[in-house]
Amino acid sequence: MTARRIPSSALTSFVVGSRYMPVYLALLLLLVVASIWAPAALGSVALRSVAPYGALLGITALGQMLVIMTGGIDLSVPGTFSLAAVIMVGVGNQSDDRIGVAILTAIGVAALVGLVNGILIGGLKLNALIVTLAVGQVVIGVVNRYGRTFSVQSPVPTGWSEWTTTRIAGVSPVFWIGLVITILLIVAFRYTTVGRRFQVVGANPVASQVVGVRVNQNQISAYVVAAVLYAIAGMALAGLIRTPGISVGTRYLLGPIAAVVIGGASLTGGLASPLSTLAAALFLTGLNQMMLTMGLPTSLQLVVFGLVIIGGMLVSGDRIIKAVERVLRERRRPRRIESETTNSSIGTG
Amino acid sequence: MKRLKTIGLVAVLVLVVSACSADSDTTTTGGGATTTTGAAEPTTTASSGETTTSAGGDNPLAAYDEDPTAADPALVEKALGQVDPSDEASWNIVLASIARANQDLAAAGIDIDKAMECWSEPECDTGSGGDLVMGYADGGGNTVNVWRAVSHMEAVLQALTYPEIGTIVSTAANFDPDVAVHISGIQFLIQREVDFIVGYPDVGVGLRDVLLLAHDAGIPYTSFSAGWVGLPDQEGALVPGDDYLSVVGEDLCALGESFSEVLNTGVGTGEVALLGGTPGNALTLGWQRCTISSLADGVDLVNPPPDENTTTGDTFWFNPAIPDVFRGLLTTSPEIKGYAYEYADGLFTGLQVYDELGIPVQNLTLALRTDEQTLFCDWAERNEPTYNIWFSAGGNFQSRTSVTAAMMASKGAEVPGEIVVPHVMRQVTADDCHADRVDPVVSGTSLVPDEVLALMFAG
Repeated sequence: MTARRIPSSALTSFVVGSRYMPVYLALLLLLVVASIWAPAALGSVALRSVAPYGALLGITALGQMLVIMTGGIDLSVPGTFSLAAVIMVGVGNQSDDRIGVAILTAIGVAALVGLVNGILIGGLKLNALIVTLAVGQVVIGVVNRYGRTFSVQSPVPTGWSEWTTTRIAGVSPVFWIGLVITILLIVAFRYTTVGRRFQVVGANPVASQVVGVRVNQNQISAYVVAAVLYAIAGMALAGLIRTPGISVGTRYLLGPIAAVVIGGASLTGGLASPLSTLAAALFLTGLNQMMLTMGLPTSLQLVVFGLVIIGGMLVSGDRIIKAVERVLRERRRPRRIESETTNSSIGTG
Repeated sequence: MKRLKTIGLVAVLVLVVSACSADSDTTTTGGGATTTTGAAEPTTTASSGETTTSAGGDNPLAAYDEDPTAADPALVEKALGQVDPSDEASWNIVLASIARANQDLAAAGIDIDKAMECWSEPECDTGSGGDLVMGYADGGGNTVNVWRAVSHMEAVLQALTYPEIGTIVSTAANFDPDVAVHISGIQFLIQREVDFIVGYPDVGVGLRDVLLLAHDAGIPYTSFSAGWVGLPDQEGALVPGDDYLSVVGEDLCALGESFSEVLNTGVGTGEVALLGGTPGNALTLGWQRCTISSLADGVDLVNPPPDENTTTGDTFWFNPAIPDVFRGLLTTSPEIKGYAYEYADGLFTGLQVYDELGIPVQNLTLALRTDEQTLFCDWAERNEPTYNIWFSAGGNFQSRTSVTAAMMASKGAEVPGEIVVPHVMRQVTADDCHADRVDPVVSGTSLVPDEVLALMFAG
């Protein structure tokens, strides 16, 4: 009996361990394709330019990942993202002295948006999709109104834009911020009680509730931390493009969700990997860069991007595990039936 | 100073030539040297800083309460530069619209608070008691783009000069990628029973059905900034003059050829790139086609479109999207020597990618349509002799021309389906950077008075 279990469990372990593998394979494939069709996309100039924008998507995706791990989803990302960006403009008031105040305000207001989401979803048990969509609309309305209090297309403080475009070890500090956040999340998940509890709640909220873990508190904190991460990304992008405008976050609705899913997380909640999520964000940004480098028309870029996301969803997360398990189960069944029949023959014979 | 002397000399020469040729009833256009000879037809003279329209002393548009002869030459030059006039019918409407752009609002009887109200509110009563309702349908909007905000104000100020217009209703789609949002704005104006609509069709032929609906409802639509609802040979395109009242804007092919002339001369030999707005929009497609076909040998386009019905370098005129496009271009071609683009502020955003990637802004020639101060002041600050910019005009005032065309049509005038706004390429100099201007993103060629701009962008 033991002899029969070892190979199948080893295979299952391998498959479980490889739930995050598709994103790395995709990255590898992207490198191969780019080296053949768009070698310039792998040059130092290209990689240097992809790094900060990939990290921006990564930071946003990490926020979305926390929410998705709790079984929720956050569609208020564009609103919160834009709000933080315009706060850098409005509160920053083109004065380097006000950068600190602007950053704190943006983070504080974003945390408030996350708290509202969290209370409505975690506390009042309302549907996450509808709540975050609605809260996102309210926030966009606020951004529109707030955007009228200062001149349209106003820039962020010069010091802020200069800092985001400086280089640390050859790369924008935005990339390093993304990397640091990723490492912090990995450490938190692996080595802290709070992190492990967070993963447990995501994997099985009912069981967690039974053993006394505060599931609601976990959900609320996920939305708050996520909103702060969106704000960090929004502020960083505002610095990179100097005049963010009130619609700056619109491009960050589906991208982060795609990155989380391609990164191996399940939309129904549970385990997720910060490193895989960051890798997925870099993959999506690199893909975009490669298509631009290849000079594909916008229509074709959108089609390819959409198809890749669908493809990523098909091969990522639990799908492979479940498919393999199904195959294994079906292979085992005839033997079991056969052995049961044999046993039964012996007994009756 | 040298420039002023040159202008003065040319002006004197033009006057002499005009005087000498008066007997033969010939009109000469200076500054661009176009000579028109006619019999009793009204003719137009555009000379160095001085533009006059004459029709044997008559006002050709008097029957429609317009007066092109009253256009202030200084304002004409501010808006357009030293241009050769376009065809007579177009030029008269252009001048008539500028004639109403009085910079002294008090003298023009325009209440600045009312202008601000009509600009910032979805609907306003102009206070004139007029019966007409003007609809303004923008695919962009005041809160998303300065150029759109200024064009909107130009239209509002123009409308306030017409006592017949009692109400202004404005909608904005804020560059929403959803075509339905753009359509619903115009649907709303139809339901609101406006008398005419002025606007910019960002989604082009996407507005086809709703504009036909407006046409059937007897509501004329006039676009500005060469806002064709599909170029003539595009599938689904509407025909200006038949399906909608008129399209106001530059001759796009001539504009495209002007761009290529700048690039051919400035670049000589090397790589260039073209940039555009929303994918497939008529404005971009119109000039890009002609720029591509007239690029000289040795000037290589790094991002050719796949076919002649597709635009290239699509930036959506949306600042967050612009760096992506520049990164894509600079990755393969860091040695690009020239760009042609409609949007100067967008190029300013793009130049930040140069800084980000550590690519020096040198040996660069830009051919642009608009003239936002951000780019010009950045150019002055860089002080790089091998980096040169040429531009035509911001064109904000064209929304005024649309309003005037619609009003003329309401009084029975035959308005051309295409109202051609002439253009000329101008090289940017240090004088084109007005660092103390109300807002650095405002076009230098806008005809909105500074006192209004101050209120619009003061925050």
